[in-house]
Amino acid sequence: MGVESNGAALAFEAASRVYGTGERSVHALGPVSFDVAAGELIAIMGPSGSGKSTLLALAGALDRPTEGRVLVRGQDLASLSARDLAKLRRREIGFVFQDLNLLPGLTAIENVALPLELDGIRISDARAESMAALERVQMGTLANRFPDDLSGGERQRVAIARAHVGPRALMLADEPTGALDSVTGELVMRLLREQCDAGKTAVLVTHDASHAAWADRVLFLRDGLLSDKMAGAEAAMEQA
Amino acid sequence: MSVKNSLLAILAAEPTHGYGLKSSFEKTTGGAWPLNVGQVYTTLGRLERDGLVQPEGTGDGPRQTWRITALGREALEDWYENPVELDPPSRDELAIKVLLAAAAEEVDVTRIIDRQRVVTMERLQQLTRHKQKADPDKELPWLLLVDAFILKTKAELTWLDLCEERLRQRAKPAKPAKEQG
Repeated sequence: MGVESNGAALAFEAASRVYGTGERSVHALGPVSFDVAAGELIAIMGPSGSGKSTLLALAGALDRPTEGRVLVRGQDLASLSARDLAKLRRREIGFVFQDLNLLPGLTAIENVALPLELDGIRISDARAESMAALERVQMGTLANRFPDDLSGGERQRVAIARAHVGPRALMLADEPTGALDSVTGELVMRLLREQCDAGKTAVLVTHDASHAAWADRVLFLRDGLLSDKMAGAEAAMEQA
Repeated sequence: MSVKNSLLAILAAEPTHGYGLKSSFEKTTGGAWPLNVGQVYTTLGRLERDGLVQPEGTGDGPRQTWRITALGREALEDWYENPVELDPPSRDELAIKVLLAAAAEEVDVTRIIDRQRVVTMERLQQLTRHKQKADPDKELPWLLLVDAFILKTKAELTWLDLCEERLRQRAKPAKPAKEQG
């Protein structure tokens, strides 16, 4: 697995997350192991409280595993300093949430360009890259609108543009279609799929099976474990 | 039945021969329900008997073209006007399996649901790939049909989730009793 995970865009190696200690501890996730190859779109499904959001937080370096490892493009997140982690989040990882994605005081293109500008890229270059990203999600003509002047679907398309702008190759999406009607939700999924077909990687958390079905692989979480692993875990416990 | 009304719908656009009816039906419905030519001719025979279509010109056999009659147009209008009567649910093997498994103490229903979910999800992924490839301008009927299949498949997944949740809720109160005993 070690060799494979070096080539993977994202890898979980027996990663688990426990909140708190002792009797009051909550086992939120794991251990889970899986790889996501570059260009792959993975969907994570499972009931509320099954560990989906914890998994996404670990993948995005917003939280650290209690045990095991999480690797982004072969880099063990635990080995990075706080500064390097911040850089990784800015350069490699883009987030798309259900809402509250965009800064209301910035236009669409300014929102998309922000991570690039924070990274010290020349403003003219950042704008050009951001425009290209907006055009890929069919939002080029609305680049100068403020978020309040965009529909929910348009805002999500801007968020997808920002999530994969420049060198960012890993998109993490948490219910990105949650607040949208079915046709608009489908358009958002179609665009996410297109970015992955063009080489970006995405992990999508969703309740909606018809949106998860756009993924190359669908993983089911139950009580913090991947459901296809559960049979094996039970068998191991029975043997022990 | 739908074949009868489908043939009337196609003939309402223009007179057509038997084979043309078959290919036109299959094209419009995205090839989801292949018709055999024999079925087309049997249906045409019945439609003629009821005065809903009539042969046109002097052709015969496969070259015979058919046209819709005024009575046929009325029947078609009726079909479009009235909502489809839903059949009683057919015997659904998955539902039966889950119900029997839920009633049997020694069977792990969750495992059955897990395995089924993987297969049903794969079906949903396949359908979604068809949708991704479909051109909404040129293949609208096919796209609408794929949407219908997608929603039915999604309903099955939602039902599996619901089964699992209800079974878990049923299992919960039983647990402490076991531990005490």
